[in-house]
Amino acid sequence: MSRFRTPRRSARLTAVGILAIGALVLTACGGATESTTPTPTGKADPNAELTVGLVLEPTNLDIRHTSGAALEQILVDNIYEGLVTRTQDNQIEDRLASSHEISPDGLTYTFTLNEGITFHDGSALTSADVVSSYEAVKTDAAVQGNTEFAGVESITAPDEKTVEITLASPDQNFLFALTGPAGLVFKTGDETDLKTAENGTGPFTLQRWSKGSAITFARYDDYWGQKAGLAQVVFQYIPDFTAGVNAALDGSVDVLTAVDPNLVSQLEDSGQFTITTGRTTDKATLAFNNVRAPLDDQRVRKALRLAIDHEALVEAVGAGETLYGPIPELDPGYEDLSDVAPYDPDEAKALLNEAGVEELDLTLTIPSFYGTTVAQVLVSDFAKVGVSLEVDRVEFATWLEDVYKHHDYQLSFVLHVEPRDFGNWANPDYYFGYDNPKVQELYAQSQAELDPDASAELLKKAARIVSEDDAADWLYNGATLTALTPGVSGFPKDSINSRIDLAGITKTAG
Amino acid sequence: MLRYALTRGVLLIAGLLVSSAIIFFTLRVLPGDVAQLIAGTQAGPEQVEAIRRALGLDKPLLTQYTDWIGGILHGDLGTSQLSGASVGAELVEKARVTWPLALMSMTIAMLIAAPFGILSALLRGRAGGTAMSVGAQAVAAIPVIWAGMMLVVVFAHWLGWLPAQGFPRTGWSTPAKAFESLLLPAMTIGIVEGAMLMRFVRSATLQAAGQDFVRTAAAKGLTRRQALVRHGIPAVGLSIVTVLGVQVAGIIVGSVVVEQLFTLPGIGRMLVADVGTRDLVKVQSELLVLTGFVLVIGFLVDLVHHAIDPRQRQEAD
Repeated sequence: MSRFRTPRRSARLTAVGILAIGALVLTACGGATESTTPTPTGKADPNAELTVGLVLEPTNLDIRHTSGAALEQILVDNIYEGLVTRTQDNQIEDRLASSHEISPDGLTYTFTLNEGITFHDGSALTSADVVSSYEAVKTDAAVQGNTEFAGVESITAPDEKTVEITLASPDQNFLFALTGPAGLVFKTGDETDLKTAENGTGPFTLQRWSKGSAITFARYDDYWGQKAGLAQVVFQYIPDFTAGVNAALDGSVDVLTAVDPNLVSQLEDSGQFTITTGRTTDKATLAFNNVRAPLDDQRVRKALRLAIDHEALVEAVGAGETLYGPIPELDPGYEDLSDVAPYDPDEAKALLNEAGVEELDLTLTIPSFYGTTVAQVLVSDFAKVGVSLEVDRVEFATWLEDVYKHHDYQLSFVLHVEPRDFGNWANPDYYFGYDNPKVQELYAQSQAELDPDASAELLKKAARIVSEDDAADWLYNGATLTALTPGVSGFPKDSINSRIDLAGITKTAG
Repeated sequence: MLRYALTRGVLLIAGLLVSSAIIFFTLRVLPGDVAQLIAGTQAGPEQVEAIRRALGLDKPLLTQYTDWIGGILHGDLGTSQLSGASVGAELVEKARVTWPLALMSMTIAMLIAAPFGILSALLRGRAGGTAMSVGAQAVAAIPVIWAGMMLVVVFAHWLGWLPAQGFPRTGWSTPAKAFESLLLPAMTIGIVEGAMLMRFVRSATLQAAGQDFVRTAAAKGLTRRQALVRHGIPAVGLSIVTVLGVQVAGIIVGSVVVEQLFTLPGIGRMLVADVGTRDLVKVQSELLVLTGFVLVIGFLVDLVHHAIDPRQRQEAD
């Protein structure tokens, strides 16, 4: 019946999108201030239940085969663990491994396992489980992380407590890859249906999942390490931002993540919440199709970058920092590149003139779950230099097909949330179509470099070239706002759209 | 009667088959596939291919279609490509929200349509009757989504009587809360549908007023209005049942919009989400179940009609 209008797009659609979590930050507007951490009013209650409001629900729990920030966010470290993990500011630390050693030639990684690790079904974890898990990543293309394991030569277990991984050539990114889904350890020959159940080693077990609404974790009392400070955690999925704020205000959630900066004042005014602003590696990327006219002309790309008032854009989005290059602050190789593309509409006009394209019509392809703020700002900024921008809103699936797979676009906007993903700029087949042999060489060197600092230097050089080539524009580096009720302490602040480590969180009684 | 039922039954099955083919093949027109969504933006083409193979998406379309139909004939609606969960089980779970919602909407629609429709027919030609008629026309033209937002503004924000969003996590084990959270959504559909139905009830009543048996009753000493109320309106009932059957489709479509607006975990919202994630096996089964539901209602309405209305019986037999 035609009387009914098309329904508003559900934020749930985005759940599978690896970029999706960042969408939350983007729809945002308004100001947010950082406050002090909440002061607990009493003693931590070990039997407490914590309710966390989240926006994007995972579509299934099979982190081995499904990509998606919504999955990693809740499962890694809480349900599943790897040999190593990463801290909130993306530093690598041991987890299942009590220690790790890298041979001087950078080829052999030796991990020693912690004592007393058990899977949730009670069986003990041994090095053989690690070997079988990692063999699967290496040999099965359908398993997440398969490409990251391309350089793995062998995975062996000299004894029950030791795992040895040998690479064909040094790979500076390899250990970091182990902090993601690729590095998680599963029981050998496990029959658990990972889409709906789990058998991990983490401090929490999956208790219940009512699809479309909530996922409940319970403390795993036989956990090998420091036991969790909460008896139960409920992730309550609320796809609508306003509904999320309402839920926080009426007390149905203790913590609300990904608060819309537009709505944050409502929470602040209530006086019941502390708001934290967390850093992320979300790169709001305005991609240019580098191989297609007119964007194959660097003067055009440069002009577009100069036409964007980045400060004003960040202001409009409501949270985040400006970012003028492909590497965010939390990743190695970061450098402030604001000098490369300062706001200069006059220069932009001159460049377009020089390139002979004064009256330019361009199309921006943008997944529909992102808000309208960014597109509006771009339309108005570009109009000032004589470029008219048509905004084409598409479903994420369509974006993946047209832009990501077939490179059929002019301008595209998505948030690239993965940390340390600079490699995409060294891959001419990636949808950016950016092909600079110098960058590829520097990236390869940085990966083969054994010294992390020297490696970061090489990345820094490469990132500067990418930015100077105007391969894309980086509109901003996203930030994530979290609202906490008093009594909750230890809730992580940074990078929580890719990892919420629950183990250290406590809540006071009452 | 039996012959009619059989012929009509064969038509029903043919309708279902044709719908299944249309649903299956038109969905394949959508750009993008679930394997790419599962793989994400860091995956290479090999990984996407491996996932496609694992999901059986590399098989020829016709094979995929016959596999699907074969499964349904064995009572298996398939498995979600994304979540791995049984489509049938999830449909049943979501139906616990959508069917009560549809039922409540229908009840509200009837509570509005019947009294006001008859009243406006009785008051025909007077100011009150005209006002009701015009009002119904205006309300019927309101988009459901706008009606929903207005109701939220009034009942949730101003008065604070009813929740504006969501369904209790505990579901129907807390019936009062569940009922409460369905009330605004049901009113949203019910009011708009009710206004449409009301116009129908009005015209059916007026039509009945012109029938011989009403006139006869009036001739026997009843007033025109008494004759209409005692003899005319019961006769209207049957045609209202027919229209209600047709309205079921409208209510289902309405629930898609309303579940979205009120974030209710029902069939409508599941459908929208599944289309977005290209979980096509799930979408096609869901659509077929809904189509089947509407077709079966049409079938039952026809049978009832046939059984009651002598004119139709003569035509068909």
